[in-house]
Amino acid sequence: MHELTPGKQTQGRVGRVIQVLRASVFLTSKLFFADPQWLIPNIIAPFIFTLVAFFLFSGQTSGSSFLLYLVLGSGLMGMWGTTIYASANSIGFDRWNGTMESTLAAPIPLSWIALGRVLFNTLQGVLNAVFILVIGLVWFRVGFTLVNPPAFFFASIMTFLSLSAFGLLMTTILLLSRKGGFITNSMEIPVYIATGTMFPVILLPVVYLPFAFMLAPTWGIEAIRLAALPGYVGLPTTYTVDMTIMVAETFAYLALAFFLFKRVEAYAKKMGTLEEY
Amino acid sequence: MQKPLGPAISVKGLTREYVTRNFFGGVARTTSALSGIDFEVANGELFGLIGPNGAGKTTTIKILTTLLTPTGGDARILGLDVRKDLYEIRRRIGIVFGGERGLYNRVSAVDNLRYFSDLYGVDSSVARKRIPELLEVVGLSDRAQEKVEKYSRGMKQRLHIAKALVHDPELIFLDEPTIGLDPGGARDIRNMVRDLKAQGKTILLTTHYMFEAEELCQRIAVISKGKIVALDTPSELKNMVRDISVIELRTFEATMDYVEALRKLPNVVRVVADLDSEQQTIRVQTPLGADLLPKVTAALPAGARIIDRTIKEPTLEDAYLRLVEE
Ligand SMILES: Nc1ncnc2c1ncn2[C@@H]1O[C@H](COP(=O)(O)OP(=O)(O)OP(=O)(O)O)[C@@H](O)[C@H]1O
Ligand SMILES: [Mg+2]
Repeated sequence: MHELTPGKQTQGRVGRVIQVLRASVFLTSKLFFADPQWLIPNIIAPFIFTLVAFFLFSGQTSGSSFLLYLVLGSGLMGMWGTTIYASANSIGFDRWNGTMESTLAAPIPLSWIALGRVLFNTLQGVLNAVFILVIGLVWFRVGFTLVNPPAFFFASIMTFLSLSAFGLLMTTILLLSRKGGFITNSMEIPVYIATGTMFPVILLPVVYLPFAFMLAPTWGIEAIRLAALPGYVGLPTTYTVDMTIMVAETFAYLALAFFLFKRVEAYAKKMGTLEEY
Repeated sequence: MQKPLGPAISVKGLTREYVTRNFFGGVARTTSALSGIDFEVANGELFGLIGPNGAGKTTTIKILTTLLTPTGGDARILGLDVRKDLYEIRRRIGIVFGGERGLYNRVSAVDNLRYFSDLYGVDSSVARKRIPELLEVVGLSDRAQEKVEKYSRGMKQRLHIAKALVHDPELIFLDEPTIGLDPGGARDIRNMVRDLKAQGKTILLTTHYMFEAEELCQRIAVISKGKIVALDTPSELKNMVRDISVIELRTFEATMDYVEALRKLPNVVRVVADLDSEQQTIRVQTPLGADLLPKVTAALPAGARIIDRTIKEPTLEDAYLRLVEE
């Protein structure tokens, strides 16, 4: 065996984080495209959902803003679905793939790897939303005049990041609980409702509101709607207030997620594995 | 890289208990997997850990690779503490677990190696050169772009070795690296282990194959029920059974009854039999050597035949069996 090319290590913490995130996103995307199953939940299902919704409502409304509302709603719903799915599948994937030990053995925090996974899977949701928007524009000729395009794109990107942070938090909860699959499946619908992806939050029963306000994307979605829909009436807040609350809550998610990841790793070391639960 | 002055591995009074919890979270059972083991592995040494199922080999490796916290005692890797210096240790060691697990099967060998070299912080410019070199070393260059799920067991195991080497570790742990491989595949792995040793790497390996341990290792620790029952060079371990010799029989149509009859003969220390194949192999340990042969032949039931018999020097396996059965 000849000597290997001598190695230098990537220097600096930021460089390392970027390297690991890139590797994790890259691998997750490869794994995703290697399995043709991804077409069903990610392209076909939202497509059918949107089609049905369009056919149901397109005849009844005159203003195009309702259709834009629908496009936003189904797009955001797709993003939520993938976020929840993403968190269940981020490190959960390694559990059933038998790569948990190799992952835990790496000289970096588990949360960095998980964040890469969640980012890619949430990005899938974004593409999904874009896809639905394209169907609406091209096929159903939804008038797409945004009230404030830069504010709309900024709010969209921030909502994407807050969804990822929420996904990361969910990952830790799933890792620390036994019935991971059950939790994610039973979360999906209440979360759709609570964040107002289906209806404006203002229409929710009052008991839902505290829960909805704790979810950062609730504020993101409000901000997106304010920036997109002409004459939108939602919560009595402004775009700036919505965005500020969302960013604050996102940071809280991240802090809690990183803290819980430490717990996950400590638990794994104590038990010698994360695979048997 | 600068070599540490002390031993590569140093273990003192290491213990580990597993607590199994019941459905309600109460303690159902406490298993003592390691009950105080001590050993040292020198820099550049190839050290073997052998012992029956459940002896504590994997537990030891998990503790030394920082995947599992010890319950008590101390373990130092390259002078670093396994409890505190996790990432520093992980950067400098490579781990090969036996078996199918541990790879991303839906992507290629190159994708796997690139991913792990990134996790280990290997600079991209270095990884680009090193990954093809590693694939060459493990003989997977021409299948490098293929999905791992199409690989044979042996190829996967060679990829496991490449994966453990992406960050050029000083110290390598191999837990049953040849398990489930055909003889050719197992030989390939052993040759790689020897090459690594020749490069000056420190290696700790576990195996259930005694000839493998004897062939590869400079020193061997025999572990049984969480304790080290012997630690020496293969030849010294064999010396422990100097007092006996082994009659090896190849038989046709021999049954368990014959084995039992042999066990009842006076001066027979132990009988180990493999009755599963067409021709059976029976090894009789005895201090009498050839003098026992007449009795061995006389005990043969009607219909069975001895095809071949040889008097042999005891092997590591004979020593091992005595050690773990005591
Ligand atoms: N996660 C766990 N929870 C509870 N008990 C465990 C766990 N892992 C191992 N054990 C127990 O600890 C003891 C030592 O196991 P270990 O895996 O270290 O043995 P080993 O020497 O590697 O065996 P083998 O040759 O079968 O691989 C066994 O009794 C085993 O049942
Ligand atoms: Mg084992």
